[in-house]
Amino acid sequence: MAYQVLMVDDSKLARMGLAKALAGLRPDWVRLEATNADEALALVRQSHVDIALLDFNMPGKDGLTLAAELRELKPTMPVAVISANVQHEIVTQARELGAEFLAKPLTAAALSEFVERAERRLKEGAE
Amino acid sequence: MNEFIEQFLIECRELVEQGTDDLLLLEERPGDRERLDSAFRAFHTLKGAAGIVEFAAMESALHVAEDVLSTLRSGGPLITAAQVGDCLACLDQVLQWLDATEAAGEPPTDAQPAADAIIARFGQGAAPSTPAAETRLVEVLENGDLDAIARDLLREQAELLRQPELSPGHIASTLNVAGAVLRRLGRVDEATRLEGSGLSEAQPSRDAIESLIDGSLQLTAEGPAPAREAAEPAARSLRVALERIDALVNLTGELAVAKNALGHAATLARQGEAQALAPLLKEQHAELERLVAELQRSVLSIRVLPLRTVFQRFPRLVREMMVQLGKPVRLLTEGDGVEADKAIVENLFEPILHILRNALDHGVEPAEVRAAAGKPPSATISLRALRQGERVLIEIEDDGVGIDVAKVREVAVARGVASAEAVDAMDDTAVTDLIFSPGFSTASQVTAVSGRGVGMDAVRTAVERLGGRVAIDSRAGVGTTVRLMLPFTVIMTQVMTVEVGQQVFGIPMEALVETVRIPRERIAAVGTASAFVYRGRTVPLIDLSSALGQAACARGEEINIVIAQAGSELGGLEVDRLGERMDVMLKPMEGLLAGTPAVAGATFLGDGRVLIVLDLHQLLH
Repeated sequence: MAYQVLMVDDSKLARMGLAKALAGLRPDWVRLEATNADEALALVRQSHVDIALLDFNMPGKDGLTLAAELRELKPTMPVAVISANVQHEIVTQARELGAEFLAKPLTAAALSEFVERAERRLKEGAE
Repeated sequence: MNEFIEQFLIECRELVEQGTDDLLLLEERPGDRERLDSAFRAFHTLKGAAGIVEFAAMESALHVAEDVLSTLRSGGPLITAAQVGDCLACLDQVLQWLDATEAAGEPPTDAQPAADAIIARFGQGAAPSTPAAETRLVEVLENGDLDAIARDLLREQAELLRQPELSPGHIASTLNVAGAVLRRLGRVDEATRLEGSGLSEAQPSRDAIESLIDGSLQLTAEGPAPAREAAEPAARSLRVALERIDALVNLTGELAVAKNALGHAATLARQGEAQALAPLLKEQHAELERLVAELQRSVLSIRVLPLRTVFQRFPRLVREMMVQLGKPVRLLTEGDGVEADKAIVENLFEPILHILRNALDHGVEPAEVRAAAGKPPSATISLRALRQGERVLIEIEDDGVGIDVAKVREVAVARGVASAEAVDAMDDTAVTDLIFSPGFSTASQVTAVSGRGVGMDAVRTAVERLGGRVAIDSRAGVGTTVRLMLPFTVIMTQVMTVEVGQQVFGIPMEALVETVRIPRERIAAVGTASAFVYRGRTVPLIDLSSALGQAACARGEEINIVIAQAGSELGGLEVDRLGERMDVMLKPMEGLLAGTPAVAGATFLGDGRVLIVLDLHQLLH
């Protein structure tokens, strides 16, 4: 099934990289982009979003704060927080929010595993 | 270049700018949490960007800097000046890598030694010191014309390599600096060879740099032009605000409407309705005139850049000079959002840098002298930009000691810049202006900061080449202000047309002083040339027709002379007829005509004739 994925990162380069990797894995998925947390929240309220990939380091609200707010809006949506700082507290906080932690630079393998887990979760939720 | 590399370059340049601003502010206010967060985020995002384009060397250098900032951020001690310096050095290196990536279309593959040097720098904490230059090298360098900064930098690197027990990190970073200088001079092969030479051996590298300094002198003795051209940054892309593109799209629509109206006029003409036609054509002509003018303005406005792109480099450089000279200075920047044509903005770096170096070196007094004079110990240099109609004014003002007019008089005579009588006859303003003359330099000793030999005349030449003017205003004990008046755009040139033989020439208005008619008998022969007296000054008369290989013009009893000025040179141009003032879009000469002496460019006149615009600099010098 084709899902809608939201990618949030203030760096266009990072979004381009992520979009390319995702297109390689699931070419039929629809990719939405936001440059900050407020844009992301607005998008989630307006349109249908199945999966969210969030950068941790952003000006304004960081990725963890955004993950927590998304959690309130959509409790079952698969969310990943991506960061180049693999710091224990960030990883733990992400887990506590029910989000996955993915290390930057994102490898195709790590993204692929996340995508597969997300698909399973969405399918189970739909059944 | 693929779209990832393009985006990488755009984002990284913005991040370097952000990081630099943050670091410089942090140095003043080390406790500013918000700035620290912002600096950290800039380094972090830069590292991420390097990862995406698989530029491992850049990633490794940024990682170390990011670690330092991260520690400070999580409750470490306040950031030190040395740490700010290290982080700035890292950003400098990143900028060099970005230039290399832009030139090659992909990240450089030989960047790891430079990255290791940055990493080593963070490991050691302190930056290496810069000892005074050795006499022998100074002698070698003394007579050369090599760009003063390049020469000083190369000299310092050679000196650094002379120090005993250098670590590989020091050697690598020294070679890296020398390499960067050479690259900037367009001498890429030598730079590559130098950077690749023995990373563990100081001796051969030092010899290599010294021989290059000699080589550079020979090169520049033949003519400084090639080096200067190569030094100009070649920016290939511009970021354009969406509204500017939208304005063009709207104009295209309006032009299409105007075209349709012309079609209607053609129909009327075919039907022989001449009476209705005339007012219609007149109206449409007016409309097209408006649209074309607007189109020109819109297109030119796309080529503009904010002065920020050059101003942003100065805080870091002033900081370095300040440390070198041991004089505390604050640089205040205003109006960095003012825009000007890209070509102007990009060519302002060196003139402004030179003025700043002069201000720091000669204008600003040591702290104790300032204190004795009742001034605040820290000097202030203001760098301001203002838009004034079609012109951009840049002011560099210091609160230093001012220009010593008596000393300028003395030096000007001693160096043969002007005769004793001429200097005696000048008022203080005219004397102050002498510092722009070639061969003038009041520096009684060579310093690493303002160098030797290349004086303010280089500033004047560079600014005039951009169609601008330089003025200086100085008050003893109070300070000095240097003003650069620049056109907003280099493309529109206001010219006065003149006719010689059958040819129409344009003389740039900025070079025009006055037009006079004088009787032929007042022209005196001076050798094979001729001259006349204008306002008490003997001025050479240039016969345009023979200077440009045209047929000689008719000779009347009285002749029309256009008095023109380029730099400090006055000249009279003999012409048949004076024309009108007009704004022209100057195109550089191309193809067979490229390189024609004394010609700045050409444009078409309304009647289809070609208007050749003269280059007064070449004609008069």
